[in-house]
Amino acid sequence: MSGPPLTIALPKGRVFEESVALLARAGLPLALPSSSRALRHQQGELALLELRNTDVPIYVDLGVADLGVVGKDILLESGREVYEPLDLGFARCRIALIRPRGAEGPVARVATKYPRFTRSYLEAKGMTAEVIYLSGNIELAAVTGLADAVVDIVQTGETLRANDLCEVEVIAPSSARLIVARASLKLKRQAIRPLIHRLAQLTAATAAAELGVLGYPMDPGRS
Amino acid sequence: MPIIPEGTRYVLPPEWERRESLRQSLQEHFATWGYQPIQTPALEFYDPLHPLAERAFKLIDRDGEVLALRSEYTTALGRLIRSDLSAGQLPLRLSYAGQLWLRDQISELGRMREFSQVGVELIGPSSPLADAELLEMAAGALERAGVRFQLELGHPGFVHAVLRSTGLPEAALADLHRAVDGKAQPELAALLDRWSVSGCKRADVLRLTDLYGGAEILPEARALCSTDEASSALDWLQETIGLLGPSDLLLDLGMSRRYGYYTGLTFRAHTPDLGLPLLGGGRYDAGIPGAGFAIGLERLLGALGEPPVSPGAEVLAADLASARWARSQGHRAELAHCPPAQLIDEARRRGARWLAQAGQLVPVRA
Repeated sequence: MSGPPLTIALPKGRVFEESVALLARAGLPLALPSSSRALRHQQGELALLELRNTDVPIYVDLGVADLGVVGKDILLESGREVYEPLDLGFARCRIALIRPRGAEGPVARVATKYPRFTRSYLEAKGMTAEVIYLSGNIELAAVTGLADAVVDIVQTGETLRANDLCEVEVIAPSSARLIVARASLKLKRQAIRPLIHRLAQLTAATAAAELGVLGYPMDPGRS
Repeated sequence: MPIIPEGTRYVLPPEWERRESLRQSLQEHFATWGYQPIQTPALEFYDPLHPLAERAFKLIDRDGEVLALRSEYTTALGRLIRSDLSAGQLPLRLSYAGQLWLRDQISELGRMREFSQVGVELIGPSSPLADAELLEMAAGALERAGVRFQLELGHPGFVHAVLRSTGLPEAALADLHRAVDGKAQPELAALLDRWSVSGCKRADVLRLTDLYGGAEILPEARALCSTDEASSALDWLQETIGLLGPSDLLLDLGMSRRYGYYTGLTFRAHTPDLGLPLLGGGRYDAGIPGAGFAIGLERLLGALGEPPVSPGAEVLAADLASARWARSQGHRAELAHCPPAQLIDEARRRGARWLAQAGQLVPVRA
């Protein structure tokens, strides 16, 4: 397929590999770039940008990349105005409120790497807790008492079990999303629209079924 | 402390020159359509009902009154039309150019906290013809600016009609509008599940995210929903497009941004040279019918790329009399502030091509 030049923003790591594989199955002439120090991989008319996941929505929102793949958790935090037409079904996890097992005291401080999302969650719950922004190993904040609870993603729950933590509430499910720049979807629709349709067919079986909304289904066990 | 507040910037030559001439050229273009330039105060009373109330900069006046910095022109013009221009004869055609401020903006490419818009409002008529006038003028303005663009039309009223046909309460529709506008199929599907919308109503709503492209999508949209509200929105769109004649207009029938604000057709302009729209506008028939659009001046400049290098001084004048003489001859003359012996060197240093001395122009060789 030869179409207009497309720039695709992908987060480095496993999602990068899975995204390249999926986009190739959907018909884009892409292959996993050989490991190198390159940050921008040009393959014919296609350019792949290897980014930190939180930067993917920025590149797409500003139209520097035409499309991208990123977790819903990152999108919820970013608040960027990008089109989010598809749930690609992989990188599934959930954003949860996590506390030490048996903790029943009030939640006065919440540590997270999703401060914006956490603030709006707390507001929706009518909680006034302070939000502490951390950038890694968030669970440690709950283990050490830096915070009374943390808001973080949970994939298998093994880290939680190993640290005697438990999920008090699942706040939102997350998985990899296809995102598209607002102008690109229109100006390069001859290439992007059929791509979305093919990706939709490929992911149809897995999508939809278990998706919830930005709802807060369970009580967070406030005291 | 930073030197200037985040999201503001100094505009230097040659950028300012280019920007001012663009502004002027755009307003001249609007004037040829009968639009008269006006200005409104940058200081306004804070009004919690203002559409951008939360995002505006606020100040406290000496009597304790809360003021807000102008955050958009349409609302300001609305006030003007209901006060000083209330006796004006309709249609009123106004154009504006000036700075706007938004407190909460993330400061980045094309989204400064202090930014400028040039735009127009057409007050009085509410018809496809009025919208066609604005669209034709918008296209002309961007052509005149020399930027690559494509206009895109939408109608939030159509989205609203399709969403309403689900029978859900108005309160539930806001979330659906947001998901449709973001083409967020997964969220939309989840919302429809939550509200137990199924069957063809559900399929219709989901189709909204894929209804974009050229005029060929209008029949698809007609097949979707046949309520009077939906049909009249599509009729309006179709008539407007018909009036404009053959063109490469884009349509997005899932566009529903600020649907509570716009009451009719909305439009924007995309460019391959910048990720953000160059222009946005639409119809808001609340009370007196009105429609208009605004061009983001910084975005337009961004899409046009680097400004041409500013020319140096044309003429270096040896003294005041020579400067007076050279200017009277129509030259751009800079007065020399150096000893007479250094005039030639100074002229070279300033990039001047001529030296004005004793009533004549002496060429300066590089």
